Amino acid sequence: MIGKIIAFHSYKGGTGKTLLSINLAATYARKGKNVCLLDLDFRAPSLQARFKTEGNGYWLNDYLNGVCEIQKVLTDLSHLSSGKGKFLVGLANPSTEAIREMSAKDRKWEMRALGRLLSLRNSLLNDMHLDYLILDTSPGLQYSSINAIVAADVALVVTSLDASDIKGTQRMTSELYDLFEKKTGIVVNKVLPDILSSTAGKNFSEHFHNTHNLPVLYTIPCFCDVLRAGGTCIFAEEKPEHAFAKTVEQIARKIEKL
Amino acid sequence: MRQTHSEIATVTLYKSLQGKPIRVLEKIADSLNQLNEKVDVLIELQKHSRGGIVNESLTDVLDVMTLLSLPDHLRKTAVTLCNLGQATAEEIAEQTRRARAVESGYLNQLVLMGYLKKERKGRKAYFYVEKEGPGEK
Repeated sequence: MIGKIIAFHSYKGGTGKTLLSINLAATYARKGKNVCLLDLDFRAPSLQARFKTEGNGYWLNDYLNGVCEIQKVLTDLSHLSSGKGKFLVGLANPSTEAIREMSAKDRKWEMRALGRLLSLRNSLLNDMHLDYLILDTSPGLQYSSINAIVAADVALVVTSLDASDIKGTQRMTSELYDLFEKKTGIVVNKVLPDILSSTAGKNFSEHFHNTHNLPVLYTIPCFCDVLRAGGTCIFAEEKPEHAFAKTVEQIARKIEKL
Repeated sequence: MRQTHSEIATVTLYKSLQGKPIRVLEKIADSLNQLNEKVDVLIELQKHSRGGIVNESLTDVLDVMTLLSLPDHLRKTAVTLCNLGQATAEEIAEQTRRARAVESGYLNQLVLMGYLKKERKGRKAYFYVEKEGPGEK
């Protein structure tokens, strides 16, 4: 199997990129796939807090700065998975100083960062034989996010039903993903159950696709349990029978058909 | 004019190779390829130079925002080169499924725009964005 790079992106923040990327990675690992999840949201890093790990002394910031190789950055969290697959994560440095430093990088640095992201296909997928590399990015048109999109095989764009979010997603689809000829799938997240049960909602994905001309991959209802857990539970691993975990499994299957 | 020169060169070549037709054709193909690349460069130089003055030290940064601003045909070439790191026009053409001569033209155009660098190794021309040194910040 040839490895695949999947980038999670969105126009606005808080759409559920991190939650979905963690659960998608956990789904693959549980199925015995070797997976690596990278936190490319350098403005608001979150994987360190979600996995409650201190990492191993090196951050993705160091890799992109050319200070170390990617292997030094990766933390092995395979023990969190019940599957036989490897579950590796690469963390972004959450310190205020690191965030400030990353936001002040110039164009030349960003160009080199793109080169380093592109070389991950060789170092992680070809050399380390990983099956999936999942990139969790910053919302909007940030350098780090667009670099991730260019490096990815598939762009998964998570949107809410907020009108400005949908408009921004439409714009990014025609002016970003299409320009880089990326396979794109829109994930509509946090849809209220009463909308899904209405007449139009009976086939919500199709209705949304027809109304907004966006390639909908999946529609996820708003789960109270997920909100209640506040990001402390990896449903795909800890509660695999939960409807949310099943939803992520279906997304994983649909990605293969893109 | 160019054709006349080519014809003269071909006759000279034919005589020097004592009538070995396949070798002659190979030499002609090589020469035409080289000529093609040179003509591409000259055309681009003419397009971009003002009053014949060309700024040879022109360099710019090929970051993602620049990639977005490029016309579609050049973006495809540039992204393919970014993925390969370093490549000949032929290697790019294999990926983009466009003609080698077309890619050669686009690559030379990107060199003239200051986004790419070009290096000759023997008869082959290699294009690259930047040769990365260790620990660059």
